[in-house]
Amino acid sequence: MSDQAMRDAWFPVGLLSGLTRAGTASMLMGEDITVGLDDTGAPSVDCGGRKLPTVERFGHLWTSLGAPEKDLFTIPEADHPERTLVDVGVVRVKCSPLRAVENFLDIAHFPFVHTDILGEEDHPEVNNYKVEVRKDEDEVWATKVEFYQPQAAASAGGGIITEYMYRVPAPTCSVLYKTCPPRPGEWDVICLFVQPLTEELCDVWPWMALFDDTSTITDLIHFQQLIFLQDRSILENQIPKKLPLDPALETPTRADLTSVAYRRWLKRHDYTYGAQLVAE
Amino acid sequence: MILYDYILSPSCYKVRLLASLLGVKLELRAVDFHPGREHKGDELLALNPAGSIPILVDGEDVLTESAAILSYIAAKHGQNWLATSDAGEVGAQQQWLSFSHRLTSALGGARLVEMLHFPGDLAALQEAGIAALRELEAALFARRLTGQTFLVGDRITIADIACFPYVALAPDGSVSLDPYASIRIWMRAIRAQPRFIEMPGIHRLHELAPDPLAGDA
Amino acid sequence: MQADERTQWVPAAVSTDILDGTVVPAALPTGPIAVWRTASGELHANGDRCPHRGMRLSHGFVRGNSLSCIYHGWRYGRDGGCEHIPAHPGLEPPKSINCGPLPVAEANGVVWVAAQAPEEAPAEIEGFEALKSMLFCATPAAIAEAAGGALKTELGGTPAHLVTAERTPSETFVVALVPTGTDVASKLAAATALEALRRVTESAT
Ligand SMILES: N[C@@H](CCC(=O)N[C@@H](CS)C(=O)NCC(=O)O)C(=O)O
Ligand code: FES
Ligand SMILES: [Fe+2]
Repeated sequence: MSDQAMRDAWFPVGLLSGLTRAGTASMLMGEDITVGLDDTGAPSVDCGGRKLPTVERFGHLWTSLGAPEKDLFTIPEADHPERTLVDVGVVRVKCSPLRAVENFLDIAHFPFVHTDILGEEDHPEVNNYKVEVRKDEDEVWATKVEFYQPQAAASAGGGIITEYMYRVPAPTCSVLYKTCPPRPGEWDVICLFVQPLTEELCDVWPWMALFDDTSTITDLIHFQQLIFLQDRSILENQIPKKLPLDPALETPTRADLTSVAYRRWLKRHDYTYGAQLVAE
Repeated sequence: MILYDYILSPSCYKVRLLASLLGVKLELRAVDFHPGREHKGDELLALNPAGSIPILVDGEDVLTESAAILSYIAAKHGQNWLATSDAGEVGAQQQWLSFSHRLTSALGGARLVEMLHFPGDLAALQEAGIAALRELEAALFARRLTGQTFLVGDRITIADIACFPYVALAPDGSVSLDPYASIRIWMRAIRAQPRFIEMPGIHRLHELAPDPLAGDA
Repeated sequence: MQADERTQWVPAAVSTDILDGTVVPAALPTGPIAVWRTASGELHANGDRCPHRGMRLSHGFVRGNSLSCIYHGWRYGRDGGCEHIPAHPGLEPPKSINCGPLPVAEANGVVWVAAQAPEEAPAEIEGFEALKSMLFCATPAAIAEAAGGALKTELGGTPAHLVTAERTPSETFVVALVPTGTDVASKLAAATALEALRRVTESAT
């Protein structure tokens, strides 16, 4: 099994606002890297004396161990000048980077893991939604995902049916669009950017582009950290640690169609770093 | 009362938890601890030169150190959450409040290294954390032998609240709680208290809520 | 694991450490398990892995006669069969979804679990009951040696048996048994002596 496909992908490795000349030791797919600023003050990533390609986008520095064919994806909605852009900060999780993304694509866990915030046990039903791989962009998309939520966002006053769209534009990145309580008709954008340190360890960099005139940035950061840290205790306790790509090993239902599409898409592209192909 | 609070801070959670259990209302002031390091900024250093949270402001009173804040809130709003004047209880309460600082530095330290990229000697922190958990397990087992569930006296007190969060979150620092049966029973008794609130990493006991399927059966 | 090892009872917990309506983590040589009691106290064990997305079931919760997974709330009955999938409340879960129930028995106040049904009940040690479980960072052989060459020993002046199960090459699960009816003071002394035995054993390894 070759990791080349994943080595050619882009990964987040730090907040642009946090880069220093001294540099920070980090890791990418098992290789030691140093992330920081070079002598001219430009962001740079070093891997054993080799300068890696970089992109600055969405408040983060991105790099690749290989030679990416495609530019890093864009999020046109995030460019709206009235949006608040929120760097949530890094959280390390002892799990497969692919499991971290899959959890982000899942709404069925809201009543049990994010109880009374993103879901409640009296409203656990997941209705049918639409999943596709968009051919031109080569991205997994789920649309018309609806769920009852007691407190959908820091700005939400009470329970509402929230509509979601999910997008997987890169093997360890996911973008979700959700109903924006203060601005009907617009979408809040919440992203999970995952840096694979090893196959069973990752740094997760959540990032958001929201319409919210009432909450402070700190409130927004804390809301997202609250949600993500509730997930962390789940992610560190899944067995096996790697994401199984053998359909016989786990049991999806209709609610998991996004995850099924994501796993197939990973397999088709050989994005298998952090995956388990056959039962071990 | 204003609490300078951080949602992921177990020390701040101690204060939120006690306030909730006592039905006391707190005004929360969110501190950008990570990634902003606001607790090391001028405004908060003026309130607490130690640069730590929680900080409680109640009129003229400014309190730091979670153990002190727990004592303060209980003295004002829940005397029965404090040791009685019995010397044994007073001593035990003080002992566990001091012990809670060891939990903070060992298990809390491991958690900050493992979760939020803080510097530290992870192996040494974990080893100290395991030693503390073994001590707590032995003490709670001895309490069970005499028919008690909690650390001090015959009821839940601030000693339990001071020790609970960092113990419950030990797995965040890769320290397993699986071997400790008496700690598990004690944690469950705390989580089963009326008006218990959770924090990320500490799930609620779903079974205490009415079964949505009951009646269907 | 050999076939005959699979049909051996392995000590997994102390009976009184599993309250009614709760689930606890334990382990067999085959891997982690979840041991739980229904609300009325009936004991069950199964693999510690939810068939849905692999979450550890020992992190779940018990209501009535079923064990629910904390991740998406899938509910399993006493036979391990999935009874309910909250995301699809109208769906009858397929019979094939099962979390793998394991043979479980109680003797001497110890919960014993096996990977496959053994032919006989776990052997009783007449007149003894479980005091306390403890995880030692040592092998069973090292523990026996520290205890004076055998697992039948004495703890703080009270006769004791040590029941052991190797969990990993460096970790052994130990349950100390003391005579039924031992008074509280002697039990405390035995528990303290067990701590001391662990210190000695671990510093020797
Ligand atoms: N001894 C303090 C410690 C609390 C503590 O560790 N607070 C952390 C947040 S969870 C903190 O502010 N750390 C900053 C630092 O220690 O520099 C207390 O119990 O209040
Ligand atoms: S992993 Fe257990 S219900 Fe989904
Ligand atoms: Fe989640």
